[in-house]
Amino acid sequence: MKLPERLADRWARLVTASAFERLLISGAALVLSILVGGVLILVAGVIAECPNPALSMLGVSVCYDPIAVFDKLFLGALGDPINPAFKPFQGQFAWIIRPGFDPLNGQLATTLSETTILLFAGVAVAIAFRAGIFNIGAQGQLVVGALATAIVLLQVAPHITGAIGTIVLLIAGLFVGAAAGGLFAAIPGALLAYADANEVITTIMLNFVATAVALYLASNQFKDPESFANQTVPLPDHALFPNIVFQPRDDFSLIALVLAGLFLVAIWYLLNHTSLGFDIRTSGLQPQAAEYGGVDSKRTVMAGMVLSGALAGIGGAVYVLMVLGNFQTGVPGYGFDGITVSILAGNNPLGVGFAGLLFGVLKSGSIVVDVGTDVPPQLVGVLRGLIILFVAMPEFFRLIGTYVLPEETGRGPAATDGGEVIDDE
Amino acid sequence: MDTAVRLAGITKEFPGVTANDDIDLAVEEGTVHALLGENGAGKTTLVNVLYGLYEPTAGSVYVRGEERDFDSPRDAIDAGVGMIHQHFMLVDPMTVTENIVLGNEPRKWGGLVVDRERARSEVVELSERYGFDVDPDTAIEKTSVGVRQRVEILKALYRGAEVLILDEPTAVLTPQEVEDLFEVLAELKAQGKTIIFITHKLGEAMEAADEITVLRDGRKVGTVDAASADRESLAQMMVGREVLIEMETPAVQVGDPVLQVRDLSVVDDRDVEAVSGISLTVREGEVFGIAGVDGNGQAELVEAITGLRVPEAGSIRFEGTDITEWNRLDRIHEGMAYIPEDRQSRGLVMDFDLVENGLLGSQHSRPFVDGGRIDWEVASEHADRIVETYDVRPGNTAAAAASLSGGNQQKFIVGREFERDPRLMVATHPTRGVDIGSTEYIHDRILEMREEGTGVLLISSKLDEVQGLADRLAVIYEGELMAVVEPGDVTEEDLGLLMAGEYPADFDAVTDHSLPNGEEPL
Repeated sequence: MKLPERLADRWARLVTASAFERLLISGAALVLSILVGGVLILVAGVIAECPNPALSMLGVSVCYDPIAVFDKLFLGALGDPINPAFKPFQGQFAWIIRPGFDPLNGQLATTLSETTILLFAGVAVAIAFRAGIFNIGAQGQLVVGALATAIVLLQVAPHITGAIGTIVLLIAGLFVGAAAGGLFAAIPGALLAYADANEVITTIMLNFVATAVALYLASNQFKDPESFANQTVPLPDHALFPNIVFQPRDDFSLIALVLAGLFLVAIWYLLNHTSLGFDIRTSGLQPQAAEYGGVDSKRTVMAGMVLSGALAGIGGAVYVLMVLGNFQTGVPGYGFDGITVSILAGNNPLGVGFAGLLFGVLKSGSIVVDVGTDVPPQLVGVLRGLIILFVAMPEFFRLIGTYVLPEETGRGPAATDGGEVIDDE
Repeated sequence: MDTAVRLAGITKEFPGVTANDDIDLAVEEGTVHALLGENGAGKTTLVNVLYGLYEPTAGSVYVRGEERDFDSPRDAIDAGVGMIHQHFMLVDPMTVTENIVLGNEPRKWGGLVVDRERARSEVVELSERYGFDVDPDTAIEKTSVGVRQRVEILKALYRGAEVLILDEPTAVLTPQEVEDLFEVLAELKAQGKTIIFITHKLGEAMEAADEITVLRDGRKVGTVDAASADRESLAQMMVGREVLIEMETPAVQVGDPVLQVRDLSVVDDRDVEAVSGISLTVREGEVFGIAGVDGNGQAELVEAITGLRVPEAGSIRFEGTDITEWNRLDRIHEGMAYIPEDRQSRGLVMDFDLVENGLLGSQHSRPFVDGGRIDWEVASEHADRIVETYDVRPGNTAAAAASLSGGNQQKFIVGREFERDPRLMVATHPTRGVDIGSTEYIHDRILEMREEGTGVLLISSKLDEVQGLADRLAVIYEGELMAVVEPGDVTEEDLGLLMAGEYPADFDAVTDHSLPNGEEPL
């Protein structure tokens, strides 16, 4: 096939097959979750008491304005790009973008910074899932990766300087994070492959081990003597991700985000276009068939787990080199969020991109809602949860689709094979 | 006599496929009616329409003269139509009684509590009325497949079914259980029930049915009286052309040994010895058949040979090289093809499309892979070739394996394994669940392979298959080879006895079983 034909073919498949359906379903889920969330905000707003109600409807004063809340949750995360004078429904057509809006604002930086780490954590969990392994230990692997990166770079950084030094140090830092995370994940991997120990148990337990070891090292050997907190000495600036485009105080580097995107594509390519990826997917879907097809299950479990741990470890390294600038205990639960991101994405590395961005927006937008409205943070948590809940249940929307849509398109029965249902004996 | 079920002009279309095309069918009350056809002929679709699982695109369903529009199986059951699926829908840890009454439990204390005594007595009464031999208090997991099937029938009867639909009821049964099933069907018929059963086996339709309706490619070919039908004409109706029922096996010069198994012992998943010191040799250009009742160590023997199970003792040589310690992938690469017994858990990845499934086993070898990178274009052409050559329907290689019917799944696996161009072909039940036309094709290909000098190890529970194809035939019983015989020189009765672990009275064991081929030990 020639390239244009192939592209057309790909596109046709993409549209007809699940991708379009997925988008439709995600959109429907988002809309429904906002509607349900809006009702919740109204109800909470009626019950709550406040000095200055946001709305007053039919003599009932409502403390919170649902539109304002969702506006801040989503648009706030982007730094409020919409012009307040832009009111098309009232007939006021101003330029849609707010004058003075800086696309490189701090809030957007926060969003993208969160997204970057979530992409690494999400794809780490996703590749393990594809291999049929539930890696709950991404958090531990991320912590170990972060700690190892900080410790090693603290020793090495003073000896290597200059622009080239920064590149060398960053690459070295990511390698150290990958190696540490990968090695740490090799423990539950080996236990699963060679001793048949359930990875759910071992990875959960190793999360505690990772946190405890990090606490011990960050409060003893590697503690910053000047600080009361359990953290290491700050890394020199030349060992950190340069804040190109965005402001240095924003703790975000576009380089890291691009790197994360490259990793997603690389992992997608690995899964879909290489022998190892074929082995991983086969064992994840049907271990018996994998065995039949000559897949070495032990090797595949190890490969899947080590890759997963390495990606989480890189996530940790990026967290240190982009956000913290040193290692501190109390790393937020990116590894656990990674599980949700991965499941939202259907464990598809490219889908992790979208799911990670949605999660990043929600995390950063929550802060804006907290600061900008009277809505209590707990209620914001509920709204976030609702959105994730609805997006995570595509089957529910597919079910609705079969009732709402006309039969021909809504019901796609599996029996396109001449009518025989599958028979095995 | 009244018509129990009448289908008028049933058409059922799926996107891109017409599974049923204007089918009329009338089944008299108190008769057994067989729906005969190849895989993909539309038999199951038709009964699914009758049972309310599918809504027909056109046409109407009449039950006892009344037009019905079933929205779900629930409606069909209420109208007295019951269905016994090929896959049993039973709760394994629950007893026979609990399974039968499940969903319709007799109740007491104002409907609060299940009346167990009444449930049990009703089940006992029901099974006695139809002469069923089932213990109402045994857990389903402890019963045989034949008993489970009877429990399914009782379940339908308990819900008041007058018309019973059985989807491929014999596919899962041993020959003895098939006989028992036919007795059950005769008894049900004697008590006035109407039975519709689906099969692709000519002999069964002729033996058990009063009338046979043949379907082909979604159309009705005709309805014939079973008593006056003959095999050849039925086969022709099914396939649409003449079918050679006898197989011709031209003489082939056998060559060097391809597979040599010596004193092989293998344990099963429960660590019980399943294969005890088996020795056998398969040579180039020869089909070595193994007959036996399922569960006598065939599965474990084959898994040890193909590298899926580590033997406890003994050795396996492949073209003279000791491969006992080799892994599965090396055996595939060196030219060992394998058609597995369980196509849905082993032979195919159900969620993969046919292109990916065509790659299974070759995911590390040229020309599909170069430097770890898969060339999907080559893989896709390969799948197209399999689909085309082996007539896998529908021929869309982007479809998931799960969307294919069982027979077409099997054809795809057979095609993939044949295309490896192997030195040794290990085929377990290669035609199980496959229709007569494709069976013929698969047999031809096995014989063709043999002529090209490939060694074939054929394991099948179909006696006519192993007898017709094998050059030498071994009978396995409780993990040992009873004897190796010339398939032409032995009667079916003798084979039956050997399969049951007994030597016929005037039987000379052809060879010593420790060295069944009369060869020197290696």
